[in-house]
Amino acid sequence: MARSTIILDILTPKGAKYSGVEVAGVEVPGVEGEIGVLPDHVPFITPLLPGVVRFREGGSSVRLAIGVGFLEVLGGGRVSILTEQALSGADVEVAVVQERLRSVSSALTRDSGPIDAIEHRKLENEQRWLEAQLRANSG
Amino acid sequence: MGNLREIRNRIGSVKNTRKITSAMSRIASARMVKAQQAATAARPYGARISEVVRALTGAGGEDLSHPLMTARPELRAVAVIVVTADRGLCGAFNGNVIKAAVSLIKRETAAGRQVKLITVGRKGASFLENAGYKVAFKHEGLSHEQLVPMAKAVGTEATGLFLPQEGAPAVDAVHLIFNFFKNVLVQETRVDQLLPFQPPETTGEAEAGPVFEPSRAAVLEHLLPVALESTIQQALLNSLAAELAARRTAMDAATDNASQLITELTLRYNRERQAAITKELMEIIGGAEALKG
Repeated sequence: MARSTIILDILTPKGAKYSGVEVAGVEVPGVEGEIGVLPDHVPFITPLLPGVVRFREGGSSVRLAIGVGFLEVLGGGRVSILTEQALSGADVEVAVVQERLRSVSSALTRDSGPIDAIEHRKLENEQRWLEAQLRANSG
Repeated sequence: MGNLREIRNRIGSVKNTRKITSAMSRIASARMVKAQQAATAARPYGARISEVVRALTGAGGEDLSHPLMTARPELRAVAVIVVTADRGLCGAFNGNVIKAAVSLIKRETAAGRQVKLITVGRKGASFLENAGYKVAFKHEGLSHEQLVPMAKAVGTEATGLFLPQEGAPAVDAVHLIFNFFKNVLVQETRVDQLLPFQPPETTGEAEAGPVFEPSRAAVLEHLLPVALESTIQQALLNSLAAELAARRTAMDAATDNASQLITELTLRYNRERQAAITKELMEIIGGAEALKG
């Protein structure tokens, strides 16, 4: 039977950001580019990268910054997004994030000699999350 | 009379101590409720992640292998992640973890393996450093806000040490020591192996699992670090709740002890006072008798 909506859950380690929202479709940042999920999608699991999740709730569109995670399309019209963190675009503290991004980026571009591989990876992770927040806020 | 004043002062100071311990106990219980709520809120995420791991590793098909899952035949060095609290006054909470850590370090060293330490919490770091061990990475200020970034940092460090970079890997296994929040009264010190990653036991029957895009290997590549971080997050959440539970129990016991001490001291105070009065009376009566004579 064709459905016109899907039930969306967004779960994070801090609890459910959204739970049981009825949406017409959702767009997520997949590893191979943006993925749109519409009703009656086959069940599948795919990794998500830090980026922006978009969907319409009621009459307004919602933009969320998410961290690394997974998209899980389950049978029965349920979709869950598992992500380490999620933040509404409107809640992003742009000035703070920009400031932090500048210092992280400059630490990354500096001669990577003193920063060892582990530090480098930590900074890269943080940089991606900060950029995701800015993108969620603009637009 | 000097003795009486001494006892009175002592009662006063024990009462003050009791005020502090009972306040700490009440604060800990209030915070524990929050910590338990946070742990409950985190459960669906953790459960889904392990579900995905199970679906991925259990669904038959080609054998999946990943550097993070491959056990090494020879262990030359291990890393130990020690999760303690930042503060004391919580009974044996920190002591148990530190004891478990030290015994693990001694065992590994005796077996000729190098040990690299990662600590979460100020107590563990300062104890281990004072005991003469070198701590490779230190984290402090764990809170529910810091949970995700800190778990990520610890996870990155663990994988960084475990995976070979420019030649040999720094360590061949990673262990995690933390207090597990069993219930409000019982905390259990756990020593878990974090790496190489052990997939959960599967029931064996391959159900028609979901499709993995772009491929199972690619999903696994992405999933393992996330699953690792999720395990660390669960450990940190447990430690946070267990710390508060331990502090509450310890402070409750301290409050009870203080109350008991106050009762004993009050009894002694009254007895001394009575003795002093009796003595005075005896003197007066003795004096009167002597005059009569």
